[in-house]
Amino acid sequence: MGNLIGIWIGAFLTLCVFSFLYRDNPFFRFAESLFAGVSLGYYIGIVAANTFAPNLVRPLVQDFRHNAHLLVPLLLGLNLYTRFIPRIAWLARLSLAVYIAYFVGINMVQKLHGEVVPQVGATLLRPIGGALTPIDNLVLIVGVLAVLVYFYFSAEHRGAVGAISRLGIWYLMLGFGAAFGYTVMGRVSLLIGRMNYLFIDLVRTTAQNL
Amino acid sequence: MFWKVRLPLLLTALVGLVPIVTFFLTDRVPLIGPAVPFVRDRVERYMIIIAGFALLLGVVNVLQGNLRRIERRLPGWPFAISLLAGLLVMGVFGILSAFRVGPFQGLLATPDGRATPFYWMTIHMFNPLQAAMFSLLAFYIASAAFRSFRVRNVEATILLTAAFVVMLGRTPLGEYVLAWIPGGERWVPRLTDWIMAVPNTAAQRGVIIGAALGAASLSLRVILGIERSYLGLKGE
Amino acid sequence: MGLERLLQIDRRILYLLIALGTLIPILLPIGFPVSTTRPTERFFEKIESLGPDDVVLASFDYGPTTAPENAPMAEAILRHCFTRRIKVVVIALFPLGGVTMAGQELDLIRAEYPALREGEDYAFLGYKDGAQAAMKQMGVDFAAVFPADHAGRPLGELPLMTRVRNYDDIALIVSLSTNVIAEYWVNLVNAQFRTPVAVGATAVSAPKYYAYLDAGQMLGLLGGVKGASEYERLLLDGYPELRPMYRKPGVYNAMKGMDAQTIDHAIIMLFILLGNVAFFQMRRRAGRGGDASGGAART
Repeated sequence: MGNLIGIWIGAFLTLCVFSFLYRDNPFFRFAESLFAGVSLGYYIGIVAANTFAPNLVRPLVQDFRHNAHLLVPLLLGLNLYTRFIPRIAWLARLSLAVYIAYFVGINMVQKLHGEVVPQVGATLLRPIGGALTPIDNLVLIVGVLAVLVYFYFSAEHRGAVGAISRLGIWYLMLGFGAAFGYTVMGRVSLLIGRMNYLFIDLVRTTAQNL
Repeated sequence: MFWKVRLPLLLTALVGLVPIVTFFLTDRVPLIGPAVPFVRDRVERYMIIIAGFALLLGVVNVLQGNLRRIERRLPGWPFAISLLAGLLVMGVFGILSAFRVGPFQGLLATPDGRATPFYWMTIHMFNPLQAAMFSLLAFYIASAAFRSFRVRNVEATILLTAAFVVMLGRTPLGEYVLAWIPGGERWVPRLTDWIMAVPNTAAQRGVIIGAALGAASLSLRVILGIERSYLGLKGE
Repeated sequence: MGLERLLQIDRRILYLLIALGTLIPILLPIGFPVSTTRPTERFFEKIESLGPDDVVLASFDYGPTTAPENAPMAEAILRHCFTRRIKVVVIALFPLGGVTMAGQELDLIRAEYPALREGEDYAFLGYKDGAQAAMKQMGVDFAAVFPADHAGRPLGELPLMTRVRNYDDIALIVSLSTNVIAEYWVNLVNAQFRTPVAVGATAVSAPKYYAYLDAGQMLGLLGGVKGASEYERLLLDGYPELRPMYRKPGVYNAMKGMDAQTIDHAIIMLFILLGNVAFFQMRRRAGRGGDASGGAART
């Protein structure tokens, strides 16, 4: 019975959202505000159950002596919330600095070691006899260089630089056209899922429970 | 000045260097070797926990804003009630489920297949609302493509041609459209595969390299204290 | 003149056509054939090469927003793994629904494979914050990131996890992803730990990932519903005994989704063509009439 009531609630909320396609209305705004609230509530549950409980609270409670060092992330994390108290809001900068700095540092390594080096290497070292023909390899190398020239804005795009930059734009247009085609596929599939929910799942669950 | 500006910048530089330095150093480095994995592992474990706190910062922001809206009866204030109701009910269910209090035995279904309260709200409210909001995009992309996608110049023609070839080639339509020519049913899919594997790869690679270099330089600026906007400070 | 009036059409009529183009193939399946592409075949071949001694790490990095694309991929890959008795460790790193999606898919698959034993054939560790930090630490010790599984059992009590300490014990990482987390698996984990990574991506992300595929950073790629349908096709060709799972009436899978996809693509392409024909007609009329604006269609 709970499942039956639940799926009808879900269907009602789905139709509230779809009503926006006709025009803005209170049902949509209700669904939109509920969407924001429930999403944030979901975050709370997920973080509490999957990170705080197993990685912080239980180790501190069950074996404080060996896990006392976990007070460091606890205090740094709680310190983030001092930003909401105007008199001591500056304290939050300390935690923010630590948090942002780590992910900025790791991002730098990811970008250089994990993207620039392998991508440049894959462009310069095209395998002979690989999946692509020699002409395809050449088209690819020329394309990567042309696109990089287009993104180089320190030199004016005139003459030879302008011509190569134009070629780069054409490659980008091919890439964006392909991306658009895939994006249409992606967006349509989201609608397919909802239609399946409304016309198949809802009907089947109702029939099973009646 | 030291506590409010210099100390955060110093912390940024020190902590920001940890993942970079520990990437290059191993525990076999003389003198400091054993400290390398210790510092790296501790920092990584701490960041997992701090990331959880950071993710919930938005909750406090939203709570403050919507309570203010209700208090001052600002336009749309009744909807702030539904937002807060959803947030509080789901949030309380989540916290109780995290510590398995009473009927709140976890975030998912129980081993015998019954839905816990948090799971019930997830599959009947969170999932449908999330999915429905994003499914609107299917209508918008169709409408936007119809109204805006115009062949005004060479670049737009290339873009539209590539889009059409891919939209045909990634569905069975690509096989049917030229099937009347002997062997033609493979032309559009093969052209699509070529577009994806060669010019698309070239374009995406150029963008990836350019964006990665830009991101790496921004990271360096943050670590060196040149870029300070994330702390609410003006840069050098 | 007739086609130009088309440009002024109420957008809600277009919405209705899209809705019907989606709904009718769902209610009356067409059964369009599915052809496969090399990125999907490489993904499939890698899992085909694995066996009962191998462990696959499956990361659910998507939520309900992209479930119609990613869920069929997850189901097909899990069925493939469990049919071949490959061990699977399931985690989630996407905060907006990853762990729920993982739980739902495992519930579905468990019902189809009743002999599966949690803790021995597979382990479900749950969600963890701090994606990159968690990924880096898993390269050292899974237990430091996931002290317990989703049900609260310490990792040391799970027989499977006693032999999976870090990425050295993982044969393949599969990321079913809606956003940037798949890139982290590639540019952080594959780059630093050399563990093979295969990605089931949404259609929006897939074009970008061809660059990683070409560079060998990704071993295989499923792009959107098309990629999922290709994997289902390969799975059914290799394991005909799984066909009843894909023939259940009313149960969504990617091959069925491609029917609606095909019709909607045709509708959108038709309207783009009609819009451009009308645009050119207007421009030609404006050119003959000497209109300074050039007669560009208002949008």
